[in-house]
Amino acid sequence: MTDTPEPASPPIAVLDMGASAIRLVIAEVPASAPIRVIEEASRGALLGRDTFSKGIIGTDTIDQAIAAIEGFKHLMDEYGVRDVTAVATSAVREARNRDTFLDRVQRRTGIAFDVINEAEESRLLFLALQDALGRHAAFKGAWTLLAEVGGGSTSLTLLRKGEPHRTAVYALGSVRLRQQLDLRRHSHEVQVALLKRYVANVIDEIRLDIPLRRITNIIAMGGDVRFAASQMTDADVDSAAPEVARDTFLQFCDEVAGLDEESVVERFRLPSGEAETLVPALLVYRTLLGETSAKRVVISDASLRTGVLLDLAQPEGPVSARVFGEQVLGSAETVGYKFRFDRDHGRHVAFLSTRLFDELQAEHGLGERERLLLQVAALLHDIGIYVSLRAHHKHSQYIIAAAQIFGLSDDETALVSNVARYHRRGAPQQSHLPYVALDRQDRLTVNKLAAILRVANALDAEHLQKIRDVHLVRNAGVWILELEGDGDLTMEQLAATARADMFADTYGRQLVVRPVDVRS
Amino acid sequence: VKTTDLHPAALFINRELSWLAFNERVLEEANDPATPLLERVKFAAIAASNLDEFFMVRVASLKQQIDEADATPDPAGLRPDKQLSAVAHRAHRFVDALYDCTERGLVPALAAEGIRILKFDDIDPPRQGSLRTFFRDSVLPVLTPLAIDVSRPFPLLSSLTLNLAVMLDEAPEEVGRRLAIVQVPAGLTRLVPIPGADGVSFVLLEDIVRAHLAELFPGQTILESSVIRRARDSELELDDEGGRTHLELVEREVRRRRRSDVVRLEVEVGASDQLVALLVEQVDVEDEDVYPVPGPLDLRVLQGIVELPGFDHLRDPPLQPEDVLAGEQRRDLFSILDARDVLLHHPYDAYEPVIALLAQAAEDPDVLAIKQTLYRTSVGSPIIRSLQKAAERNKQVTVLVELTARFDEERNIQWARALETAGAHVIYGVRRFKVHAKVLLIVRRTAHGLRRYVHLGTGNYNERTARVYTDFGLMTSSQVLAEDATAFFSALTGYSDPPRLKKLVMAPTGLRRRFLKLIDRERRRAEAGQPAEIVAKMNSLSDEEIVSALYAASAAGVRVALNVRGICALRPGVPGVSENIEVVSIVDRFLEHSRVYYFLNGGEEAVYLSSADWMTRNLDKRIELLFPIQQADHKQRVLHALRAMFRDNVKARVLQADGTYPRRSQASGEEAFRVQEYLQQEAQRRAALARESAGVSFVPEDAGPRR
Repeated sequence: MTDTPEPASPPIAVLDMGASAIRLVIAEVPASAPIRVIEEASRGALLGRDTFSKGIIGTDTIDQAIAAIEGFKHLMDEYGVRDVTAVATSAVREARNRDTFLDRVQRRTGIAFDVINEAEESRLLFLALQDALGRHAAFKGAWTLLAEVGGGSTSLTLLRKGEPHRTAVYALGSVRLRQQLDLRRHSHEVQVALLKRYVANVIDEIRLDIPLRRITNIIAMGGDVRFAASQMTDADVDSAAPEVARDTFLQFCDEVAGLDEESVVERFRLPSGEAETLVPALLVYRTLLGETSAKRVVISDASLRTGVLLDLAQPEGPVSARVFGEQVLGSAETVGYKFRFDRDHGRHVAFLSTRLFDELQAEHGLGERERLLLQVAALLHDIGIYVSLRAHHKHSQYIIAAAQIFGLSDDETALVSNVARYHRRGAPQQSHLPYVALDRQDRLTVNKLAAILRVANALDAEHLQKIRDVHLVRNAGVWILELEGDGDLTMEQLAATARADMFADTYGRQLVVRPVDVRS
Repeated sequence: VKTTDLHPAALFINRELSWLAFNERVLEEANDPATPLLERVKFAAIAASNLDEFFMVRVASLKQQIDEADATPDPAGLRPDKQLSAVAHRAHRFVDALYDCTERGLVPALAAEGIRILKFDDIDPPRQGSLRTFFRDSVLPVLTPLAIDVSRPFPLLSSLTLNLAVMLDEAPEEVGRRLAIVQVPAGLTRLVPIPGADGVSFVLLEDIVRAHLAELFPGQTILESSVIRRARDSELELDDEGGRTHLELVEREVRRRRRSDVVRLEVEVGASDQLVALLVEQVDVEDEDVYPVPGPLDLRVLQGIVELPGFDHLRDPPLQPEDVLAGEQRRDLFSILDARDVLLHHPYDAYEPVIALLAQAAEDPDVLAIKQTLYRTSVGSPIIRSLQKAAERNKQVTVLVELTARFDEERNIQWARALETAGAHVIYGVRRFKVHAKVLLIVRRTAHGLRRYVHLGTGNYNERTARVYTDFGLMTSSQVLAEDATAFFSALTGYSDPPRLKKLVMAPTGLRRRFLKLIDRERRRAEAGQPAEIVAKMNSLSDEEIVSALYAASAAGVRVALNVRGICALRPGVPGVSENIEVVSIVDRFLEHSRVYYFLNGGEEAVYLSSADWMTRNLDKRIELLFPIQQADHKQRVLHALRAMFRDNVKARVLQADGTYPRRSQASGEEAFRVQEYLQQEAQRRAALARESAGVSFVPEDAGPRR
């Protein structure tokens, strides 16, 4: 044979450990073609049932999870999969024994699961959805709500003309609800009444974050709603994004809510694990839909797993985690608005920070991601003022640490919160707990970024955005930061010189700040 | 009229009676003078064999219900005892008809062709002498006469074996007449050629034994004798081909509690009342379970006549299955399937492409995995050989074996073990569900990534039955179907929970609801004033929910045309309920076995093939698959064949509201149309066309690989 080209690289696998099941997707990721899913599998493992009731994952469930993963390994072996990415969400995240649990899983199966945070979950879901429905009219609508009711939580992302505007994750999951309300003790009617009341309470909370009334499109994801869609839509419709009219959806949810678990199993032939989650999940969707003005629900088969796949497939792609800037910054600003930040100041400091960051590329050796984190810290460094002007850098730290910024992982959020904290006053010390909680690498990054932020912030000390640009001139022994701007820049020059302390410590050079006359 | 207003008996036909009606249609074929003689004999043998199975399985089940005081009526409103007596009445009538056909029709017709079954007494003395030698040398040594008395109870005779019941006169020291049993050796051929004759004259083994009874009971007076045969509860169930398969474990446990398990006793019609009474008491059966027959017991013996060499003028002309790939330049199945799907309609189209696909997969170094379901396959099957070879070459071979009838078990286990030894992953069934789906999946590495090839069918992976059963098969490399097939296997091998499939539909999870939705969609369209139509073909229709949905559709104005070969619980032609439903049954040369489901769907026609019938057991207790036919020309071909079933006016019977199945007669001036013949001609035409078009394309000698 003369036409034997290079063999294609073996497929990759993504595992996702959720509250009610562990799922697998095996796919081929050709260099210049769309991802091709080869196999999807799922095994029920009620991790959430344990975590959300007892706080820890029990022995039986651990065995169940390991058995499922071992089965998946058979499937992966069939295709010669070597590259495995495994993520775990709330049921593992919230389990007190998560480290021992994951350790056991790894020792038995060789697969290391990465616990991802809620914002990361939202980002990955968004990624998957954008890939699946990016051109769909509903996606591009004026106000679109992306909703995924999972076993542990409900992830909502508000889209404004296709761009994430706000994102939030609520502890409202189908498995969690069953456990928290201890539903087993009650008759079916009481269960439904309890669920409805609880869901309504959370919706009140959601309404504060997201203008539900304005929403004209809902895109729903997740196993339960996909199953419901298969029942609501025409028999042989197999579209990737079926649409269900509002009334049909509401009616179906009400109908299913009338069925106890046994009837659900009987009627839909679902495994009991899935039957258990169907009613709570549909009640959440139903209540959300009822609050909005959406005429229909679009159901997507996008999932966390496809999000992870896409993330792996295009590490440098236009919507990759690396360069997810727009969405992350948008979400950061949303947090900023919540705490009435000075947007123009924040944006300007962010701009100056990136200029400095870029000028210092050779010195800090950091990448795009860190640049983005610096921007977020710059945007939000002052939000602690909302609490009190006094020691506001400390308030900024914990507000950011607790905020959900779309697209940032827990670790990244912690890092950003520290960078913001050191935008003024004392440098990091061993007594600063949030700082020492970071690993060494991250502490170093905090130092590098905070040193830049302090100078950049000082350059807009008056909140007047007078500096148009900066340039770094490297002379032997001393570096000169040239300021380009309008009017008298003495104030900025003094402030920046005063805040160059940490810069000198971090980059080993004294910084001389001086305005330049661009006309000369 | 609402269906609830009607008595259930008006709406449903009892499935046992419907089954008997089917066997009556088989018998009609044996009676049909237009059918070649040996084919008629074959139909008689099949009808007899079918009836045996029916007693051991269905009658046994009814008796079981009665024993357990289970009075649940069937959908037709009949309690088990009523069903049993109705079945007995009809079965007696059937046996009479069967023997009438055999003794008055077939036996004389065979004799006219020189094929004879003679009575021992009618054979000339020299040949009787040779037979006596044969008896002493070969038969006598294996005979064990058993006398029955208080200390020696009636022996536990194997089901369906032939025995001679012998009535002996009072012996000197004993009181009363005595019964003895002589088993007719099952290991010897029952059709004994008469020595020195023409080779086509036979005497039955039991007749030879009877002629020598005196030698078995020396010094005793033999008053009379009769050949007898008992049918016992088989603890099995019938499958869609009339064969037996294991019952669910649970059901079997229940059955163990039974007292007597004899469901039928056949005796010769000449047996005295006294002998019969004695047997009834000893065997523990009811009077109505006794079938006196006016001829040889167990007419399955006729199969031996069917298999006689020669006599081709008494048979159907041999079938030459067509090669659907006749037009292909290279018989590389993978590259053919890369380019297009292949639809097969057996037996008109040859089964060879399926065999070839597997053989090629076994050889191809780029094939990584082969997964397949095997329900019934032939011994020494090339399919098994290919799987074994593939496993030996370190391909991942997964085989889902469904062990069927008990007598098959050992054979099945033998080749299953061989596969395991070769390194295949063999799964012996799935707990609680019988795997009835027919699917084959091949995973192959190519330059453009993995590629998968799928075969889906309505019939078993058995190249022998593929010559006599009508079945559809689809070979494809469709990504979606492959993905679904993959998920299906992962679920069956236990690596995944039941998946949500994209194009395939699976029982017991989604198939029932899907069918109901498809039927209901036509109903809604009809109610909205749109044209609506359902055309379906299957082996049996007995699920109550499906039947009710069809009634609702019919009442709404949907035209429903059903081709149901066997049991049909649906009663057509009931005013306001089923007057838009037509039910046709074809019993002809090939066993109608394909399942096809068509829905007009407002013009967006949906055509499906399936391994499942519309029976409760298929939808709830088995793992089945339904798959869509999407390619426009394949859709047309399937639909064309489906519609042709309703044009038959030679072998078609039309179910009437009263449950009878008169033949569809040719209207005056109408030409005879026999669908199986027609489809065969169509296949020939298609193959000829393909060969022709292949003939005019030019292939340069040094052609490199196609790009």
